[in-house]
Amino acid sequence: MSAITSYTQVRPYTRGWLALMAGLGAVIAVALGAVWHMEHQGHWVTGMTNQVVWGLPHVFAVFLIVAASGALNVASMGSVFGRVGYQPLGRLSALLAVALLAGGLAVLVLDLGRPDRLSVAMTHFNFKSIFAWNVILYSGFMAVVAAYLWTMMDWRAKRFYKPAALAAFGWRLILTTGTGCIFGFLAAREAYGAAVMAPLFIAMSFAYGLAAFILVLSLSFKMTRRSMGDALPARLVRLLGLFVAANLYFTALHHVTQLYFAGRSGVEAFILWNGGIHTALFWGGQVGLGGILPLAVAYGGCGHAPRKRAMMASVMVVLGGLAQVWVIVIGGQAWPLDLFPGMEASSTFADGHVHDYAPSAWEVMLGLGGIAIALVVTTLGITALRLLPAHLGEATGSCRSPD
Amino acid sequence: MTRYAMVADLRRCVGCQTCTVACKETNATPPGVQWRRVLDMEAGEYPDVRRIFLPTGCQHCDEPPCLEVCPSTATQKRADGIVTIDYDLCIGCSYCAVACPYEARFKVDRTEYAYGARPMSNERHRLGDEKIGVATKCTFCVDRIDAGLAAGKVPGADPQATPVCVNSCISGALRFGDMDDPDSAVSRLAAENQWFRMHEDQGTGPGFYYLWDNGQ
Repeated sequence: MSAITSYTQVRPYTRGWLALMAGLGAVIAVALGAVWHMEHQGHWVTGMTNQVVWGLPHVFAVFLIVAASGALNVASMGSVFGRVGYQPLGRLSALLAVALLAGGLAVLVLDLGRPDRLSVAMTHFNFKSIFAWNVILYSGFMAVVAAYLWTMMDWRAKRFYKPAALAAFGWRLILTTGTGCIFGFLAAREAYGAAVMAPLFIAMSFAYGLAAFILVLSLSFKMTRRSMGDALPARLVRLLGLFVAANLYFTALHHVTQLYFAGRSGVEAFILWNGGIHTALFWGGQVGLGGILPLAVAYGGCGHAPRKRAMMASVMVVLGGLAQVWVIVIGGQAWPLDLFPGMEASSTFADGHVHDYAPSAWEVMLGLGGIAIALVVTTLGITALRLLPAHLGEATGSCRSPD
Repeated sequence: MTRYAMVADLRRCVGCQTCTVACKETNATPPGVQWRRVLDMEAGEYPDVRRIFLPTGCQHCDEPPCLEVCPSTATQKRADGIVTIDYDLCIGCSYCAVACPYEARFKVDRTEYAYGARPMSNERHRLGDEKIGVATKCTFCVDRIDAGLAAGKVPGADPQATPVCVNSCISGALRFGDMDDPDSAVSRLAAENQWFRMHEDQGTGPGFYYLWDNGQ
């Protein structure tokens, strides 16, 4: 890797560029159609109920928002922690962070009961609400990262580079803490209501964000025929393994703490043992696909080149991450509230039994639309601005890590 | 000061669901949405097991979790303790529904009537567009209380100023009134009986008292 990195824009209107944008545009158009249908008809056309009020769109939204803050870590590695090898990736990292947040927020806002009242949410703040604080944190994140990106791109702003990097890193930690606290502050719900939700969400963001970054970096380099050596993907996949391990650690800590608390064994048995789809997604998706397998790929045997290993591990982390957010968001709501501890309660209005939830196609479309929005923003960004390095070393084809 | 509260005497409640029906008729809540509901519970251990019917709904808490989480200030608490929702400020994020320990919040997603496509007269008057896509819950029939107060009535004593679930209760299990007034019926009932409040451990300070005597 050269000491001075040159950045070039992606050439627009090529056949591949047009095909990509057309494909993503189609996904967004379908998602907007789904939004129109859901808002015109009401949320009764979705799988959401008055017991499971946050459904699959929230899974996508939370995943994207959490990944957004994590995607910025790559830039922070170079600027805040002085790791020179990551500095050429800072611009793409910042762009991807903004893009993922835009996609996540789009899904979140469009799934509101009254999305037409976004201006109300932006003008009437209840400062006791962590949700309201998140509105400020998300908006501020966009501004802080935009300023950070500017200091990376304009040599006249170089003296603001380090302060902007520190501000962005601090902001992203607070932002993810805020997202975790949305669940952590819910004392009424047995599945949530724990301070560990904040560090858990930070660990999740590290893993999801880096996985998303690796995928975007690898695919953009492949599609624009830019060279990438093995050193960088080897380093990235090892870092991803570390973040995945941290995520597993906090997940284990969360559940062990829950099991230790009196009165929470029911919800833990539900998630870990007899919760049907939620249990399957926890063990198969979150722990297996999103945890153990990526660890094995990151640190295990050397069957493939580092770039391929990084891609494989990242895909697993993304899929496992979606499963993890499903288990948190939907699994947590499916377990009924303990209205009277120690008593069996039931009624004709859904009290006292596990709540069903099956996502509708509309919700899937909206969620995928959020991902498409993130990718369109990223593609437009690297097309309009010099954010993508022209090359990142030469490929060797070796599976052994050079460093 | 005034602190409106409800008292449910669990020794009197027979689970007839008249309060449920009265609430539904008055507030015209659509199918699947029930602001006043009655839990069917079992208490005790074999062979000393009892069946308890427990009316529940919004507890109009002193420290409402729904108010704390509401991002847009749509949920408010009046000086008299009644927790209200400004339908024009609610963005329908449902955070309050997840935060409420009493499962008292409902989001209405469409204009739906009890009997087919045509509304009954109560639904025509009460189920408006302002309640679609936003959170709803028991209001303690706040409009009746306010109208009754304006007419010089006393909530809890005069039926015109009292929530309909209380008026309709066939066994007198439900009572309503000002807990800060030592002469009110609810104050006297609370003073003379054992009572508990749901999830008091969470510090919400519910405005719903359940009279219960374990010895009976």
